[in-house]
This record gives sequence, C-alpha cells and structure tokens, in this order.
Amino acid sequence: MSQETLLNVSMIDVFHGSLQALWNVSLTIKAGEIVALIGTNSSGKSTLLDTISNLIHPAKGSIEFEGKSITTLEPYETVALGISQVPEGRGIFPDITVLDNLIIGSYNRKARAKREHSLKMVYGLFPRLKERKDQLGNTLSGGEQQMLAIGRGLMSAPKLMLLDEMSLGLAPLVVNYLYEALRGISGRGITIFFVEQNVRRSLAEAERAYILEGGRVVLSGPVAELREEEKVRKAYFGI
Amino acid sequence: MTDLADLATPIVMGVLLGGLYALIAMGLSLVFGVMKLINVAHGDLVLFSSYFAYAAMALLGIDPILSLLMGMPLLFAIGFVIQKYLMKRAFGISMEAPLLIAFGISLILQNVQQLTWSPMARGLTPAYALESFSMGPFRFPLAYLLDFIAALVVTFSLREFLRRTYLGKAIHAASQDKRTALLMGINTGRVYAFAFAIAMATAAISGVFLGLTFPFTPTSGVSFLILAFGVVIIGGLGSMVGTFIGGMILGLAQTLGGYFVSATAQMLILYIIVLVVLAVRPQGLFGRKERT
Amino acid sequence: MTIPRPRGGWAPLAAVVVILAVLPVVGVSERWLLYIFLFFVYLSIANMWNLLCGYSGLVCLCLPAFIGLGGYTLVIGTWVGLPTPLGIIAGALVAAGFALLISIPVFRLKGIYFAIGTLVVPEALKYVFFLWRPVGGALQGGGAGYVLKSTDGFSTTDIYWLALVIGFASVFLMRFILSSKLGSGLAAIRDNERTAAICGIDVFRLKLSSFIIAALVTGIAGTIFYLRQAYIEPASSFSIMWTMMAIVSVIIGGLRTEAGPMFGAMIVVFLQFLLSRYAGYSLIIQGIILIGAMLAAPQGIMGFMGKTRSYRSLLQWVRGR
Repeated sequence: MSQETLLNVSMIDVFHGSLQALWNVSLTIKAGEIVALIGTNSSGKSTLLDTISNLIHPAKGSIEFEGKSITTLEPYETVALGISQVPEGRGIFPDITVLDNLIIGSYNRKARAKREHSLKMVYGLFPRLKERKDQLGNTLSGGEQQMLAIGRGLMSAPKLMLLDEMSLGLAPLVVNYLYEALRGISGRGITIFFVEQNVRRSLAEAERAYILEGGRVVLSGPVAELREEEKVRKAYFGI
Repeated sequence: MTDLADLATPIVMGVLLGGLYALIAMGLSLVFGVMKLINVAHGDLVLFSSYFAYAAMALLGIDPILSLLMGMPLLFAIGFVIQKYLMKRAFGISMEAPLLIAFGISLILQNVQQLTWSPMARGLTPAYALESFSMGPFRFPLAYLLDFIAALVVTFSLREFLRRTYLGKAIHAASQDKRTALLMGINTGRVYAFAFAIAMATAAISGVFLGLTFPFTPTSGVSFLILAFGVVIIGGLGSMVGTFIGGMILGLAQTLGGYFVSATAQMLILYIIVLVVLAVRPQGLFGRKERT
Repeated sequence: MTIPRPRGGWAPLAAVVVILAVLPVVGVSERWLLYIFLFFVYLSIANMWNLLCGYSGLVCLCLPAFIGLGGYTLVIGTWVGLPTPLGIIAGALVAAGFALLISIPVFRLKGIYFAIGTLVVPEALKYVFFLWRPVGGALQGGGAGYVLKSTDGFSTTDIYWLALVIGFASVFLMRFILSSKLGSGLAAIRDNERTAAICGIDVFRLKLSSFIIAALVTGIAGTIFYLRQAYIEPASSFSIMWTMMAIVSVIIGGLRTEAGPMFGAMIVVFLQFLLSRYAGYSLIIQGIILIGAMLAAPQGIMGFMGKTRSYRSLLQWVRGR
C-alpha cells in the first residue's frame, strides 16, 4: 500500500520579525498517517504549524501540499485546500453557541456544501457536543472546549489536520477520550499532524515523529526506532 | 397631573429621536466592534448621503427614501473601497494612521460639500416630512416616528444578518479573534471590507432620515460623530441592540435635559454626558470588556 | 542646562530672524506679512501637535480648546481693562489651567477613547461660548462673537513680531525638550510604556507635562492670532480646522521630526496663499495630500529626506566636517 506524500515541507527558515525561529526545517507527511511533533516549549513547534497554515510565511524554502506549492498562499486559501489547524488554547468563540462555533468552521465554500455531513460526523465522534449544541462556548468545560475545537476543525472538511497541544490542561481520562476520537478521525482517512507536550503520549499515538529542538529538526523517524534512540531515552525519559 | 403630562412630550420625543441617533450610530458601532476603528469621517459620510438625497430631490425630483435605492449601493461601494484600499493599508502603517486617514477623508468631504452646496443649511423636505401625527392629546413630528421605525428595522435586520448568515458570523468571528478566524478559512481582509461597506450602507439610511428630521450643513459632521460615538459607548461596542438602546438613552438625555435644565444647552448636556460616560465606563452598558 | 545649539551655528539663524523681523519695516506688502504671520502661528501649533502625537504618544484633538480659550481670554480681557501683554499671559494660563483640569478625566482614557474624548472638548466649549456672554450684552447683532476692544497700542507690526517670537520659541522649545530628561523619558514611553513605568518613569507626569506645555504654547498662539484678527466667535475659534491644519502640517512634513512641522506649515500656508480665492480647494488638496502622505510616505518629507544620502552629506557639511 503506497502512500502519497500529502505535505512536503522543504528546508524552511522562518522568522518572527528579525528573530529566526526555524532553521532549515524539512518534513514529509504521507496521506493517512498520524505524525507527532515533539519538542520543548520554545522549540518552534507552534511556529511550524502556523507556517504550514500560512499564518506566517517562510523566508526561505517551500511547502507543498498534494504536489502543489502553497508557500505563498493566504491562510484562508490554505484552509480551502484542506489543511485545518486546531490551535493551541482551543480558540473557540466564547459568546456564540456550540453549533455556531461548528458552523463557522465550515466557512469555506467547499466545506459549506458538506456541512450537514460534517456535523453528523462531529456529533458522532463527540455526542457531548450535540447535547450542548445551543450552549454558549464559554459555558463548556476545558475538555468539551477541546472537543469543540477539534469538531470545528473537522467542519472545514480537511485532508490534513494540525493539532497544537491538544491535551494542555486536561485530565488524563479526557485526553484518552480525545486521542480515541483522533484515531477515529484518522480512520476516516484524515491525515493528522499533532504537537504534544507529553512525549510518552506522542510516541504511543503516532506512527512517526519529528523532534524539534531550538528551531531545528534533530531527530525523526518511525516511533519504534525513536523509542530505542539513546538521545530520546536520555532526554525525555531520563534513562 | 400636569407634570406627568408635560413630561410626556420630552419623553416620547426623546425615544423617537433616540431612534435617529441609534440609526446614525449603527454604522459606527459595527465598524468599531469589528475593527476597533473609530471612523472619524463617519459623520461626514452620513452627511454625504444626506446631500446625495438632497441632490436627487432637487435635481431629479426623487423622494429621499426612494433615492436610497441608489444611495445605499453607492455608499456600500464607497465603504468597501475605503476599507480595502485605505484603511487596510493604514492598519499596517501605524496605530494612528487609520485615524489620520479618516481625518483626511473628513477634510475632503467637508470641503467638497461646502463648495458644492454652500454653508447654507439644507433639509430634505418632501411633503410628509413636515407632517405630524397625534398620540392621544399630543402631536409629534412624523419624521421622528419614521426615524424610530427605520431604526427598529435596521437594528433587527443587522442583528439577524450578523447572527444567521455566514458573512455575518464571519464578521463576528473576525472581530473576536482574528487569528482563529483566519484558521477557519475566513478571508478577514474581505470580511472587514464588507463590514465597513455594510456600515456605510447603514450610514446612507441614517443620512436620509437625518435630513428628513433636521436641517444640515457641511460642518455638522463632527457633532454627529460625537453623538454617534456617545451612543456607541453608552450602548456598547458591537452590540446592535445595545446601540439601539444607547440611542434611546441619549435621545432621552437630550430632551429631558432640555426640559429640566435648558433648551439651548441640550447639545452641551449631551457632550458632557459623553465625556462622563467615557471616563467612567468606556465599554458601555452592554458591551463586552475589552480583552487587554 | 545647556542652551541647544542650532545646526550650523547661530549666524545663519540670526540672519533669518533679522530678515524676517525687518520685513514690515521695509514695506513688504501686507498680504505677504499676513502669510508669514500665519506661518509662524501655525508653526507653533503644529510643533505642539507633533510634541503630543509624535513624541508623547497622545493623539490629541483638543488643541482648538486651547486656541479658543487663549483668544477669548485676550478679547474678553480687553473689555475688562486688562492690558494686552497681560491678556496674552492670561490667555496662556487659562489654557494651561484648563488643560490641567480636563487632564483628570481625559488622561484616564487610552488610545482611541482619548482621541475622541479630546475631540469632544472643543466642541463642548463651542457650545459653552455660544451660550455664555461673559461680558456685556449685544455686540455684533446679538451673536456670540466679540470684537477686540483695543489692542493697547500693539500695531500690526508688533503683532507680527509676536508671531515670530512664538514661532521660533516653539522650535527652540521642541529642541530643548527633546534633548532634556523629559525628551528621553518620552522616548522610553513611546518605546514601551509598561517597561518605562517599571523603570521608574512617571508616565503620567511626563505626558501631563507635554500636555500642559502644549496648552501654554497653543494658548499663546491663540491670543496672538485673535489679537490680529480682532474678532472672535465660537464656531471658528474652537473649530476642528485648527486640528486639521496641525495634522496636515505635521504629517506632510514628517511626524516625529523636528523640521517636519516647519515644512508642513510652509506647504499649508503656501496652498492657502495660492488658492486664496478658493479656500475650499486648498483644504481639499490638503486632505488628499494627507491621505497620500499617510499611505505613501508616512514619515513625511523630513523622514524621507533623512534617509537619502545626499541630505545626510549636506548635514555633515553644514556641521562643518
């Protein structure tokens, strides 16, 4: 079963103003994969996701999605092509309802047509959202807000979903539930690229992983190999 | 009993007048709520619509409200252009730039209108504008009632638009959290342009009703700006219903102030109220507290 | 406390001052003198707006309040027997006092709220003076205007020289402020207000200082302007057009540059001179230039020139190197 390359990030340098955040970063994600991005706090993980979403543009290098260059696109064009980001901190809109939050996720034209279908999928994965669909965003618990954020990301009918620190501030049981949902999403053919603080969790849920340190990719590969890696064991597991 | 009956007039007038004020402020509220931009040329743009309706009436004999069929699209287009080509770039230049550019627009508009129409006061005076209607033993100018009805219609239309349509929801999202809105696939640049355009269409409506109610001169713009701003801060940024109520409050403040204190000092009382509210509670009675 | 030394030394500057001062005596036409007079009045106001918006981060739209108050104090003063020199001082003090008074509510506002708050102030004053007749009854047909009762022996030439004084004073004042502790404090606030406060800079006091200084100078400019015009009424003295003049001058010339207001005021006065029969057109052109400048060259003429190499070498040559 040969997998197509979905996303190809090629040697990008990314700056925040005059400060460089990413050096020569390259990565590849194949369709249907679940890939993790691991790294400490200021390693540039969010910057990388933002660059893929085109909130920032790389100063050097290129990004290709489904074989076509997306390096200079606007964020809304990137969403239309099928890349959806569930941002760190969830970013749900607090004073509109759950349903409205979800609907706004389907803003781009292609997704609008599939709205009802997407809604059914989201409710299927997260029945809690259906229960609370007329409640305001800020009345939800942390876990429910994360569900909403993920659901909203799904509403844009994505091919690739980027998740930034999904488990931040949530209880382990909730996190389990979310990752189970994520597996369900992957099962529907959506490719997943996620950032996760908890290294053990990352390596448990992903097939492959990239390790980012100080804005550079220092290690990458199938999860099984990484677990054996001397460096990883020392740095993250203290063994 | 005479006291209550006496009060009835300023109260009813205040509420009806409040409709006009709310109408004028609606556009400003929308723009401020969405883009955190105070369009200091707002008053002058409202007047532009008044003068346009005046021209339609004087030169073509078209009824002012009917002329909105031309005036609204015109102002919609102007608003779209201003946001997309002027303000959008201004935001990237500096914090003061949008304000200063709006000042430039105001300067141009005021003087173009002064040159075209002279500083003489004008009014929109189709036959019905001079009529009055009765409510019980009292008579009120019909124009005021029309203002109030127009305000109701516009307020609720806008509110439903913002709540139910995709564009409306996108405008709301972009005003709350631009970054997340971008991640939702919203073209925030275009959304802002539409928001400004809609605000200007609203301004077009308010310009016509303003002209039906009061005489206007090319330099009236600043007073209407301050008035609109007062309504917005009292009623709360970005809340359409809040703006409506804010209009009522300001209208009442003016007429009751005129009744109890002094008829000639009405505007002054209004200005002082605006300053006080600014100092005490800038986010208004209905607005959300600004996230610092 | 060193007196700031002008670029190129005192000699060229002294020459300019002398030439300007001598003009009325050698019989230059009234019209030219009027425009030069206006230039210096506008210059002082523009410099103050630059101080507030460019250097102190206060987008202040209440300058007309100070101008009008200064003017009214002077004019009313002539009716109650106040000699003109005292009238000018009184005008400055009234403006400054008023600034102090409104600073209490207005300084609580930030950003756009501050801008609109300051916008309301002159408009409110306009109404106050429409209604309030501080002295006497009917003057000009019962309107709210006042005629200057007497200039106390100040001839038009004297008034012209007063304008020169306030104009040049404003330039020196700017140079002085910018090279003083106030100036560096303001620069720090502009850079990052919170950090400046943490470093012990009394942000409120510095901003207030700028505000009061601006009120003083603008107030004096107002007295001088109305001393010459000899007639004051609320609509034009508290008019937003003063603000617009200041904004256009400073933006075209270069916000946050010392020479900017000079170039800007020159252009504004020149346009007025050129289109004197078509007052409205000169203002429309100013509005267009303002928008164009903001979009294309927000640093203004001075900012733009400061970057060109030829200008920098010219500066070096003038400094005598």
